[in-house]
Amino acid sequence: MSAEAAAAPAAAKTGGWEPKIVAFCCNWCSYGGADSAGMGRFQQPASTRIIRVMCSGRIDPLHVFNAFLEGADAVLVTGCHIGDCHYVNGNDKTKIKYKYLENVARELGIEKERLQLNWISASEGEKFANFIRDVTAQIKKLGPSPLKPEGVA
Amino acid sequence: MSDIKGTENKGAVAKDNEEKRVGVFVCECGVNIGGVVNTKAVADYIGTLPGVKVTSVNKFTCSDSGQADIQQKIKEHNLNRVVVAACSPKTHEPTFRACIEQMGLNQYFLEFVNIRDHCSWIHMWEKEKATEKAKDLIRMGVERSKLLEPLQASEVPVTDKALVIGAGVAGMQSALDLADMGFQVYLVEKEPSIGGRMARFDKVFPTNDCSICILGPKMVEVARNKNIKIMSYSEVKAVEGYVGNFNVKVEHKPRYLDVAKCTGCAKCSEVCPVEVPYDFNEGFGTRKAIYVPFPQAVPLRAVLDKENCISCKACAKACQSGAINYDMQTSYTDINVGVIVGAVGFKTYDPEPRHDFGYGLYDNVITAMEFERLLNAAGPTGGHVVRPSDCKEPIRVGFVNCVGSRDKATNIYCSGVCCMVTIKNAQLLKEKRPETDHTIMYIDIRTPFRGYEESYNRSRALGVKFLRGRPVEVKEDPVTKNIKVRVEDTLANEIRNLEFDLIVLATGIVPHEGINQIQQLLKLSKAADGLLMEAHPKLKPVDTTIDGVFLAGVASGPKDIPYAVSQGSACAGRATILLKNKKAITEGITAVVNPEVCVGCQVCIPMCPFQAIKMDETPYLNTGIKKANVVKALCKGCGTCVTACPTGALEQSHFKNNQLLAQIKNVFKFQEVAA
Amino acid sequence: MQKSEMYVGWSTKEDVRKRGGSGGLVTSMLAAALEKKLVDAVVVLKKINEFEAVPIITSDVNEVLNSAGSLHSVPSNFAKLIANRNLKVALPAKGCDVRGIIEQGKRNAINLDNTFIVGLNCGGSMHPVVTREMLEVMYKLKPEDVHGEEIEKGKLIFETKDGKEHAITIDELEEKGYGRRESCRYCTIKVPNNSDIACGNWGVTGDLVGKATFVEINSEKGAKLLQNAIDAGYVQVQKPDEKGIAMRAKIKGVMEDLGKKWKGKVFVPIDNGRLEYFRKELEHCIDCGACKAVCPTCSCGDVSKCTEYHFRGDAYKMSMYHLVRFLHLADACIGCGQCSDVCPVDIPLTRLYRRFANPVQEQLKYEPGMDMRKPPYFEVKLNE
Ligand SMILES: Cc1cc2nc3c(=O)[nH]c(=O)nc-3n(C[C@H](O)[C@H](O)[C@H](O)COP(=O)(O)OP(=O)(O)OC[C@H]3O[C@@H](n4cnc5c(N)ncnc54)[C@H](O)[C@@H]3O)c2cc1C
Ligand SMILES: Cc1cc2nc3c(=O)[nH]c(=O)nc-3n(C[C@H](O)[C@H](O)[C@H](O)COP(=O)(O)OP(=O)(O)OC[C@H]3O[C@@H](n4cnc5c(N)ncnc54)[C@H](O)[C@@H]3O)c2cc1C
Ligand code: SF4
Ligand code: SF4
Ligand code: SF4
Ligand code: SF4
Ligand code: SF4
Ligand code: FES
Repeated sequence: MSAEAAAAPAAAKTGGWEPKIVAFCCNWCSYGGADSAGMGRFQQPASTRIIRVMCSGRIDPLHVFNAFLEGADAVLVTGCHIGDCHYVNGNDKTKIKYKYLENVARELGIEKERLQLNWISASEGEKFANFIRDVTAQIKKLGPSPLKPEGVA
Repeated sequence: MSDIKGTENKGAVAKDNEEKRVGVFVCECGVNIGGVVNTKAVADYIGTLPGVKVTSVNKFTCSDSGQADIQQKIKEHNLNRVVVAACSPKTHEPTFRACIEQMGLNQYFLEFVNIRDHCSWIHMWEKEKATEKAKDLIRMGVERSKLLEPLQASEVPVTDKALVIGAGVAGMQSALDLADMGFQVYLVEKEPSIGGRMARFDKVFPTNDCSICILGPKMVEVARNKNIKIMSYSEVKAVEGYVGNFNVKVEHKPRYLDVAKCTGCAKCSEVCPVEVPYDFNEGFGTRKAIYVPFPQAVPLRAVLDKENCISCKACAKACQSGAINYDMQTSYTDINVGVIVGAVGFKTYDPEPRHDFGYGLYDNVITAMEFERLLNAAGPTGGHVVRPSDCKEPIRVGFVNCVGSRDKATNIYCSGVCCMVTIKNAQLLKEKRPETDHTIMYIDIRTPFRGYEESYNRSRALGVKFLRGRPVEVKEDPVTKNIKVRVEDTLANEIRNLEFDLIVLATGIVPHEGINQIQQLLKLSKAADGLLMEAHPKLKPVDTTIDGVFLAGVASGPKDIPYAVSQGSACAGRATILLKNKKAITEGITAVVNPEVCVGCQVCIPMCPFQAIKMDETPYLNTGIKKANVVKALCKGCGTCVTACPTGALEQSHFKNNQLLAQIKNVFKFQEVAA
Repeated sequence: MQKSEMYVGWSTKEDVRKRGGSGGLVTSMLAAALEKKLVDAVVVLKKINEFEAVPIITSDVNEVLNSAGSLHSVPSNFAKLIANRNLKVALPAKGCDVRGIIEQGKRNAINLDNTFIVGLNCGGSMHPVVTREMLEVMYKLKPEDVHGEEIEKGKLIFETKDGKEHAITIDELEEKGYGRRESCRYCTIKVPNNSDIACGNWGVTGDLVGKATFVEINSEKGAKLLQNAIDAGYVQVQKPDEKGIAMRAKIKGVMEDLGKKWKGKVFVPIDNGRLEYFRKELEHCIDCGACKAVCPTCSCGDVSKCTEYHFRGDAYKMSMYHLVRFLHLADACIGCGQCSDVCPVDIPLTRLYRRFANPVQEQLKYEPGMDMRKPPYFEVKLNE
């Protein structure tokens, strides 16, 4: 175990703990929204790691689960606003698949803050930043995910 | 029994045995990144990751010297994967793809990591955390890069012929431009004559020139063009295939006469005893069961309306060229084209069912389209505007704008042209008969384009009154049949009670059956207004999500004639790129089915908005199962089907499950400790 | 003959009628379908002993006739047996078999147009291992001595070779943890109206009790099956009496209510520690894959998303395999109990899988296996 990894739980106790959040973003909207947040210099906690896919329709529950099992404290599913999907209606399908995901997560006992869906357009940089701020604050309150394996940072 | 994978493996194993030699290039972007992220520390850490052969920090990686550095290191270290950690792939990925491709690497061997927009710019005051995050992001990219596979954008041949559906002014323009560029064009029009809406107007705003005088010659030009084959009184019934290679079935409705023999002399209509309301005149006046659509019709041929024909055979006797054939059948033509332009236009909002402003209840409430026909010298009254109740010429005319537009109860959007239509119509009548008195009741007057505001000013100067307000009550005087209107003048802040001889409703633009029809045939999508949707409202206004299919005119949203014509030309221009190159480049990132794994469950089929997945016609090898297959030319690479496939037989190239999972797993510093 | 008509009928072959679960109508109807080439094959259970039988696909009329009789301790499911075989087939099917077959139909693995489904009313089935234990503990009988078994008036009756009958109420058995499989207790498909024709003994009255089968036609295919059997001289039918129809409806209602009650009992909400609950239950999973292979609604082959990204070396707090399956089955699980039955380490899988399926299926108002409606996720329409 690396020193970094061992130090992580201790950091969590001291309150300086930074959650690790995995955000899935679609290339055309929410990823662009994250770019706009940067261009607007909307400051955010350094909690989030973005995984880019072409469309929110590609956000596979398999990957969401894997992120949790690997140690994500929260997973964000994001895409274009309904009606704006670059591929006509990929996000409509995401919406339905998300219902399944949400139910499974709830039954498993994963707190609802840890799995969130949000539609963010490429111009909504501030919205993206606020979203990350809000989620990070919520997760800080909740603490590390119960699915996080031992010794993972 | 099928044991599930029991390996001790972490999954992120490359299938190919080639050693992965990764070079990582960290950009400082001046101080944009370098001022926050400790790039040196990042590079040092990344250099310790397995497979990373070289790391490099540049002030501007995208600059010539930065790119030269990448190219040199590819050579020096024999790199086969390149990770660039800089700004956004949305802007700079193409640059670096080209850069590595020049060195003989497949362009998809580039992995782009965003440590500026997603890191330094948003953690400006947390330098340490930003540095740690940059390490994570690049580690994710490095692991993903090792799993990247080479891809080739593929090419499909393009048949150098075009189909234009709808021969209104937009479709005609498109057909003419394409034909003038030397391509064969099929122009399919469902009515017996080409021309569309514009052929019915008297004058066109803002200049009020005679509509048919400018349209007529264009229609003749279309007819005379050797490269254009007009298929009038015809409809597209089926479309198969994809960009470059559409197989289209066109249905020709029977005219019950031989068009080759008919001269359009209209002797037949003279003798026909049946009279029915004339649809071309918006139901005003009558036509015969056999008729020539209108004097300037192209093709100038009669058409027999079988529904109303009483089979008296009088027309057959009257026709000197023996063109009439009562037994004619529906016929079909199969054509193959490379591109399709949809220009099917619109219809106007029908106020009848809701009886908006008394329409359908009171004789003297008519629509602007009906008014256009009354104004027209070739119309039912020879250009005299009369009111339906007593055929008297009205003096006091009230116009109501935004009927069926900008209204939650009907359509919320603005139809764009109605303000100008009303202004034009009031002007035209005022000019013809100065004694008339006109009041336009409006919500807002919108005159955005060249000459529009001037036209509006001219109306005012002519004495047309503008009243801001929507009638709240419209009643007919049972004796005089005049129309009494109660309307709030919202500028003067008072209720006014007005009496008119005639009310004209500026009914908005709404989708018609043709829109649904071609939406389904071409697999297009619709916008919120029910009209067809363009690929991008700003940057791709005439493209659609289906490659090789373009849209012109009101079919893709309300517009006026100049705008519709421009779009017709724009479509021709866009289409020519394909027709001229004789090939279409299709997306390199597509879905791919592994037939060994596919079980033919068809879950993927309805997922694809582009109908790109087809089931094989025959079973795969000796499995007895028909497998799914992605038609590359149709696939846009969204990956939605890949998510749905339960077996994992479907993969999206460049976003494969193992590639994305490698990224996910490396968010966490798990791997180093998992001994 | 047409949809929703009801009849009481029996086999014209005396021995089949005698051996049959009620009137031997089902086997005779299947045999007639085979003989008259309505189908090319029939699925039946080939009995080994009271507790064991293997499903076979046969084209032998006699083999079909020999299968007459109900085996309550053979909780097989026929859906996967006929999947991807492109058969023109007729088969008997409990509610859960029917649902499995329909789900395979939706996934294109069974052509339902070529599949004649003879539904069997089902009050529940028992697990063979549990049944043996029950015989020893509750009935004080040696399983080898048992000669036949029957359910009557809420009692489970075993007949021993010496001709004696031994009866205990099912309620009592289930209180002690025996009796029907847990999933059968809360199953509410008691009369399989999702099949082509539903057959059972409920509704048979008077002298005919035990000697006739009550049928309800659910589809054109069902009508064809029955008419064919009559025409071929294999079965005789008559109209049922009003009393019988009412009785059948009543028992059906009572059984469904009982099922709902059981559902409430089994799925008591877990307010806290759900994650821990699932983790504990799955702790001993040995990744054998049997639960996937047997699941009648899953149409994947050996390779699938649940298996390919699951690695034993991962130090995860929850099985990747099961997590993916929880999601994939959320709208598909029919609660057939097959997975629980087959698990070598006795994980109560159906109970776990239903925990996820119940809320999703309720929320989406979607009941898998009951009709041809596609799961909501497959249904997303263009531009809507
Ligand atoms: C009352 C009124 C007055 C107007 N006055 C003016 C004006 O003065 N100045 C101005 O600039 N604009 C005016 N406009 C706007 C103008 O009508 C449009 O901009 C113009 O007609 C758009 O042309 P188009 O080719 O897109 O559609 P259309 O003219 O509607 O042509 C579409 C063609 O497609 C055909 N079609 C439909 N469905 C099918 C099918 N399934 N298969 C084959 N063919 C099909 C139709 O029959 C028609 O011929 C006015 C609009 C209205 C409603
Ligand atoms: C587990 C079970 C529980 C039942 N519970 C009820 C009930 O509560 N109420 C009611 O009215 N009817 C019930 N039935 C149906 C009833 O027992 C008869 O099967 C039905 O009335 C048809 O009788 P038959 O004489 O016409 O069938 P038969 O001619 O005896 O034919 C029965 C057919 O079913 C097949 N079969 C036997 N056991 C099974 C099994 N376990 N799984 C699948 N196929 C099997 C045989 O292979 C045979 O082909 C149940 C049946 C089963 C199998
Ligand atoms: S990736 Fe998208 S476009 Fe391609 S086949 Fe799948 S759903 Fe269709
Ligand atoms: S969803 Fe997957 S397994 Fe099913 S048909 Fe499509 S590619 Fe094959
Ligand atoms: S699950 Fe239902 S249909 Fe299946 S055996 Fe049990 S009770 Fe019968
Ligand atoms: S998950 Fe279990 S109970 Fe559900 S359908 Fe599959 S085998 Fe049956
Ligand atoms: S049958 Fe049991 S042991 Fe085997 S994979 Fe399923 S849960 Fe695990
Ligand atoms: S492209 Fe953003 S959701 Fe489909």
